Amino acid sequence: MYVRFLSWRYLLRRRINLIGVMGITVGVGALIMILSIMTGFLEESRKTVRGSLSDVIIQPLNLPRADGSLVPKSAERLLEHLRPDPRIEAVSAHLSWGGILLQTGWDVSESEYRLKDPQGSELAFAQFVGIDVQDEFQATQLREALEREGEYRIPVDDVENPFAAPATHDEPEFYEWVVVGEQMARVHNLYKGALINLVTVVPSPMTDELEPSSRKFRVAGTFRSGENEIDLSRIYLDRWELSDFLSDTHEFTQVLVKLKDYEQERETIEADLSSELAEARLIHHAKSMEVRTWESFRGPLLGAIKNERVLMGIMLALIVLVAAFTVFAILMMMVTEKRRDIGILTALGATPRSIMSIFLMIGMWNALLGCSLGAFLGILGAIKIDAIEQWLSATLRVQIFDREVYLFDHIPSVVSPIAVVAIVLGALLATALFSVIPAWTASRLHPIDALRAE
Amino acid sequence: MTTSNLETVLSAEDVRKSFRVGEREIEVLHGAHLELRARERLCLMGASGAGKSTFLHVLGLLEQPTEGRVQLQGKSAWELAMSERAALRNRHIGFVFQAYHLLPDLSALENITLPARIAHSYGTVPFDKKLHTSEARDMLERFGLKDRINHRPNQLSGGERQRVAIARALILKPEIVIADEPTGNLDTATGDKVLEILFNEQSRRNASLLLVTHDERLAKSCDRVLVMVDGQIEADSEVMIPQ
Repeated sequence: MYVRFLSWRYLLRRRINLIGVMGITVGVGALIMILSIMTGFLEESRKTVRGSLSDVIIQPLNLPRADGSLVPKSAERLLEHLRPDPRIEAVSAHLSWGGILLQTGWDVSESEYRLKDPQGSELAFAQFVGIDVQDEFQATQLREALEREGEYRIPVDDVENPFAAPATHDEPEFYEWVVVGEQMARVHNLYKGALINLVTVVPSPMTDELEPSSRKFRVAGTFRSGENEIDLSRIYLDRWELSDFLSDTHEFTQVLVKLKDYEQERETIEADLSSELAEARLIHHAKSMEVRTWESFRGPLLGAIKNERVLMGIMLALIVLVAAFTVFAILMMMVTEKRRDIGILTALGATPRSIMSIFLMIGMWNALLGCSLGAFLGILGAIKIDAIEQWLSATLRVQIFDREVYLFDHIPSVVSPIAVVAIVLGALLATALFSVIPAWTASRLHPIDALRAE
Repeated sequence: MTTSNLETVLSAEDVRKSFRVGEREIEVLHGAHLELRARERLCLMGASGAGKSTFLHVLGLLEQPTEGRVQLQGKSAWELAMSERAALRNRHIGFVFQAYHLLPDLSALENITLPARIAHSYGTVPFDKKLHTSEARDMLERFGLKDRINHRPNQLSGGERQRVAIARALILKPEIVIADEPTGNLDTATGDKVLEILFNEQSRRNASLLLVTHDERLAKSCDRVLVMVDGQIEADSEVMIPQ
């Protein structure tokens, strides 16, 4: 009873304890807020990365087998094999090809000149993705990407048929229409109906040597996947149009598969589909990683975000550790300062154990107040991070979170109750451990020496 | 008051105490003995360095003797477990120090009720905030500190502090009050007032008082006087003072 009474009184009378409380508050608050934001980023990134892909990506290797045979050039057999599978909800064939987007008005000769330029700074890499629109809508989140609001959005006239010429375009049409990423449109000042020149190299069907090829297209609108790299470089167009552009050398490069229950199938689907498709001779080999889930396909990116979160956690945990050190220093100082009090308390009947409890409890008050305040502020900060960022940006006149760079409309933040509990318990434990030495020192003081202390 | 026929409340037999100073072992008490009887006022005198304070600390269960026995409440105090000894000290001994030794972070009232809070933790006396606060207030009122109840020690004068310390020593109605030079830091007039309070309260509560002092005038107010010389009570030092 008197232990709680005295520890609370010492805590309030010695304002230096506020430094310990503040240190723990800052450490716990920052840890909760930053980890919530990192978790939010990870979840948003997972959604974004998954959104532009699907659950499973089948990318057959176009290498000759031992008997000289190749995987089928057409996607149809693969699609027909996959569609009846009860685990599969939708499939979509992609023809993905790399090339260069040239500024409006440039012609091939200029692009050839640019290609020889060692700086290459004027070149914009583009990823051409040929799709079957309705299949793509079912297997991926392209429809959502076409409809997603953005500052530089150029909406297509008809989402159901995004490669159709806009109704207002009444010029005689020579060019096919494409949909470009919103960031690409922003960077290259593209507009609805803008003429773009796509340049690539294609293996010649006759000589098998690479030959340059270019074709002009018009911009029908933009999409916003949320993944910066894709929104900066991807151009969607009709798969058969792209195949034609590539001189019919390729019809597809990937098949995207949406599963009915990804969580249930994620562990086994790669191996199962690989062996099934290899047996059906629809991929090169069962062991050549041609069937991958979206997580293993984008493993390095997700791994990097996870690593960042762990690193950030470790760094911020150091703040809590420093705060616990502060509590240790404050308590050691208090033990020295309160030597005479310790002697008096012993004379009045206190035991060394209760003297130890008094100082342990002061440490715990520090920790409890710091953790409670830190958890409250951390959770509040994580929930209100957008308002805080906007206020800070306005006050400091610096854009802290560039929504165009990250392509999130808000700063993502997910408060995990388990993480909050773990952080608070960790801080309590650290402070308790750091309080033990001063408390033990206090309990070891000889009462007469303590009474004589000035 | 004749005290020889009264029961003994605190006794020390053949108490020795040595301290290690570097390589040397220095014996401060060489077989000191003492008997404090119920309700008596015993004065312990002696020159500086005679070992009075050390003896007082041994008797107050604050310093363990190297040899010898201290009996309190019929128990050999230094053979008890630490917590039992602490409980015994809390319940049966009240201390009044020369330097007052009040906790600076507590008010006068809180300082006085602190032993009761500690006693509550042993279960010897349940802390009744209302009752103990009222008792503390009564004492402060009697001691002329009615308007100092919520003052902290640094807001009180030396005499006021010592009166608070006396109230603290008496709050649990202990059988023994040990006072180590209680007027040593006070001027004569203030010291006299403090002593008057201490003696009055001792009589009121039928407590035994063990008083260490240099002041012969003060010794004359006691029932018995013992003189300590070189760590021992002088065999023929006992003086019975007719009151």
